[in-house]
Amino acid sequence: MNPVVKHTLRFIVFVLVQALIIGQIPFPLGIHPMIYPLFILLLPFEMGLIGVMIIAFFCGMSIDFFMNTFGLHASSAVLIAYLRPELFSLFSPRDGYEGFEEGNIYQMGWRWFIPVFGIFTLVHHLYFFIVEYLSFKEILFVFQKTILSAAITLFLAIIIQVLFFKKGKKK
Amino acid sequence: MRNLIAFFRRFRIFLVFLILQILALTSYFSWVQYPRTRFFNSSNGVAATLLDAQQDVTKHFSLEEENIRLQAEIEELKGKQLENYIALSEDRIKIADTILELQFDYIPAVIVNSTYTYKNNYFTLNKGASSGIARDMGVISSNGVVGIVYDVSRHYAVVKSVLTENINIPAEIVNVHAGGLLKWEGTDKDPRTITLTGISNDIPVELGWEVVTNSQSGLFPKNHPVGTIDAIEEIEGKPEWKITVKLGNDLRRLQSVFVVENIMKLEKDSLESLFIDEFIN
Repeated sequence: MNPVVKHTLRFIVFVLVQALIIGQIPFPLGIHPMIYPLFILLLPFEMGLIGVMIIAFFCGMSIDFFMNTFGLHASSAVLIAYLRPELFSLFSPRDGYEGFEEGNIYQMGWRWFIPVFGIFTLVHHLYFFIVEYLSFKEILFVFQKTILSAAITLFLAIIIQVLFFKKGKKK
Repeated sequence: MRNLIAFFRRFRIFLVFLILQILALTSYFSWVQYPRTRFFNSSNGVAATLLDAQQDVTKHFSLEEENIRLQAEIEELKGKQLENYIALSEDRIKIADTILELQFDYIPAVIVNSTYTYKNNYFTLNKGASSGIARDMGVISSNGVVGIVYDVSRHYAVVKSVLTENINIPAEIVNVHAGGLLKWEGTDKDPRTITLTGISNDIPVELGWEVVTNSQSGLFPKNHPVGTIDAIEEIEGKPEWKITVKLGNDLRRLQSVFVVENIMKLEKDSLESLFIDEFIN
């Protein structure tokens, strides 16, 4: 499939799944998983950072439309998009990212995906909840929310890829 | 000049990052203060239509519960009907009733989208300005208080739910007629409870007592149930109780609500506005 079409479709699906399904499930303990960081992580490796940030901004803003958060999702999405290349170079495979298309489980393997996406979500969720609460008094609750939500997000991200992604599609 | 261009080129990526962050964060913080941009909320056309479609599917899951609730309400209203009463004396004269005048009008609406895990939570209703809903109207369900209308578009309305930090709805405890303000403090993580503040600690309070709205704000009819007292704590260094109230309705499952229109609110507000400075001081 043409990568532009593929990522546009993914954009729509991820926004709708986040807004209409995951955002509507009543989780206990203040858990609020957010799955769209996976979409931002899966944008092609070779894509320019400015493009990634703009797409992330629109992705976050679309979710803000639905959830009445007025820009909070957009802000967190842009932050992780900005940090994406740093994270990639930190976990770079021996021969760099030559020949890889995107960072999904099948192309990069579990041992790359779990730490990279784990850090990606932790940063995203932590920033999101800190800006939302903005108080030192509730810092413990923010940590609790972050860790529990990130665990669920990671789990969902793995499930989604196992169920819907094609195996062994290397360039 | 050339240096400036070189500078911008070098920091181009960071600049884009900064601009996008400023856009997003100003929008977020100005919204938390006051709804200035109509652009970012779910009373907006596309989002609201999609949420409506989602509600069309999910509403069937809780139909049974809704039916039981409606039946209970009908039963209560039936009990108040005239034919259930026997006239004790036949020699009364009928007069046209001018003692009572309608103050509150109710507009039924359905919740199409809601949040309860954020620090400030909002609902979207499927009715808007075209059904007579306006900013700052109260929203109730048959057995509880839901929130206050925050912004309206033509066919949708966004409601600030009671699970919002400074919601400050005046309420009172029935048994002792002691009034205070309902708040959802950041510390109450539970979407089933709310805090009643401002009750002096010399007033005896017991668990299980009923909390109702009072008419101070003019947003809600008097004596509409809010919930029951669930926990009582002392606040250190303050002569007040911290009372946790269990809400009468579970906001996570609520579907049909009523928007309260106070017909006399304009009159009350315009009268009070003459003395508003004295009220504050």
